[in-house]
Amino acid sequence: MKRGFAAILGLGILIASAATLGAAPALKPFERGTWQGVLRGHAGRPTLVHFWGVTCGPCKVELPLLGQFAKDHPGIDVVTISADLVPNLPAATQSMLDKAGLSSTENFIFNDGFVERLRFEIDPAWQGDIPRTMLISRDGTITTIEGSAEMADLEKWSGQQLATH
Amino acid sequence: MIRALEGNRAMVRNGLLGIAALALLQGAALAQMHGQHTSEAACEEPTLRCATKVTPAFGPDGTLWLVWMAGGQVSVASSQDEGRSFSAPVQVTTKRLNLDWGPDARPKIVVDRKGGIALAFSIFRDEAFNGQVLYTRSADGGKSFAELKPITANNESQRFEALALDQDGTVFAAWLDKRNRVPAKEAGRKYEGAGLFFASSRDGGATYTEAKLARDNTCECCRLGLTFAAPGRPAVIFRNIFEGGVRDHAVMTFADVSTPGEIHRVSNDDWQINACPHHGPSLTVAPNGTYHVAWYTNGKARKGLFYAHSRDEGRTFSAPMALGQPSRNPTRPYVLAGAAGTVMVWKEFDGEKTSVQMMISRDDGESWSPPKTISSTTDTSDHPLLVSNGRQVYLSWMTKADGYRLTAIEDQP
Repeated sequence: MKRGFAAILGLGILIASAATLGAAPALKPFERGTWQGVLRGHAGRPTLVHFWGVTCGPCKVELPLLGQFAKDHPGIDVVTISADLVPNLPAATQSMLDKAGLSSTENFIFNDGFVERLRFEIDPAWQGDIPRTMLISRDGTITTIEGSAEMADLEKWSGQQLATH
Repeated sequence: MIRALEGNRAMVRNGLLGIAALALLQGAALAQMHGQHTSEAACEEPTLRCATKVTPAFGPDGTLWLVWMAGGQVSVASSQDEGRSFSAPVQVTTKRLNLDWGPDARPKIVVDRKGGIALAFSIFRDEAFNGQVLYTRSADGGKSFAELKPITANNESQRFEALALDQDGTVFAAWLDKRNRVPAKEAGRKYEGAGLFFASSRDGGATYTEAKLARDNTCECCRLGLTFAAPGRPAVIFRNIFEGGVRDHAVMTFADVSTPGEIHRVSNDDWQINACPHHGPSLTVAPNGTYHVAWYTNGKARKGLFYAHSRDEGRTFSAPMALGQPSRNPTRPYVLAGAAGTVMVWKEFDGEKTSVQMMISRDDGESWSPPKTISSTTDTSDHPLLVSNGRQVYLSWMTKADGYRLTAIEDQP
């Protein structure tokens, strides 16, 4: 028991230490099968998945708005996926996420040179245009917003999601 | 309690070690992202085998010239045997550059009647991914290239350059240029997209005229389709931004190399989107003057790849004809009018492999053969391109798994 307690306490301290040190969670590599993992990992929770890229002009405008949205809606899981072609740039990606206030969300970066296959797993009709936002309801219904999302639409959706719980 | 505290201290140390380990793992994970399977490229050297983007052009003597991006360098080589073997590559860049690796970017090449070679390509010149179009020329049959120069002195972002060669050897360049966002911002006005700019060269691409605006507020992140509709008259297809932020395609035919023309809408697809589609159109003009265009849209009116033609110099277009199987994500259309017919190619993906589909029309775009798979690959690939030596049309396709391929388009019954 004591050991168990110590382990739990230790884990708490580890998490607290990580938070204190400001260690941002690593950018996770997005590979074959990752999409199904994201869906499983957030099943039953309202989740906003945002696809973007460091060279995309409209993305640069939208990302800070999304950072504010994530901050204002802790009840919504926010996941970002940098979907630029590889060579993707982890440093530039992390820097833009940090500036947008998205350091602590679950952040992925495309990590397979065969991007057609990655995109096909997510949505066979998606041809790579970014930004793109998928709103996943508690019941798994996916609503896709192509292009920059209107924050009012996100507010409306999140309001519906949080009200039904 | 004491033991517990000691335990805690141990865990704190472990925790810190854990954080250090996490940091190392993070570094390792990021380093792994540059591994081969995660890269678009098969390898990291500047050789053709490692290229991600390869652009072909035939010279007047039937020599096939390729320009490619590999290992952060741009190189050129030629083939006398339809792409089976190549000359020793000549590197155009002298240092590793942050080449524009966007999905619709690639180096451009034209080869004139005297064998002069004009090149252009884009780089990212800063950490904000502002682009710059660079050009160079070889006057000695590709043995050496002049020092790289920016195509315009302006320092705002430029990308998606295109080159076309006129019969008299004039090189025409067009590109997307963000310079007009500066005065708009200063005036407190919103600026959408980018300007379509152009310049031309009377000395085979050694020097270009001052850049001029053809059309402002076009979509900023799609390749252009550029050709000469007639001597002295460049024609360009681009994704325009129409009223209400609708990013549909337009064609402009220049009155001459320094005078832009009216724009004409290709199709009312009604794709209202504030995004980078990264998926530009293709244009070819047949010797009889017919414009053939192919494009991608995800509009309210239609979604997917489409083809249309114009028999009145790009003023009006035929009803859009859908291309490919919608369940197989058709992408990257390319159309070329050749001696034996008008050829169209695009990519399809079935969940495991990418194939190139081809159709041919022998009646100037009125009717088309059924689509035929002419090549396929099981890993990532460049866009399929068509190139003609005046007698035969070829598919030019770079693939990661299988290398570069030049495939003669067979005659169809």
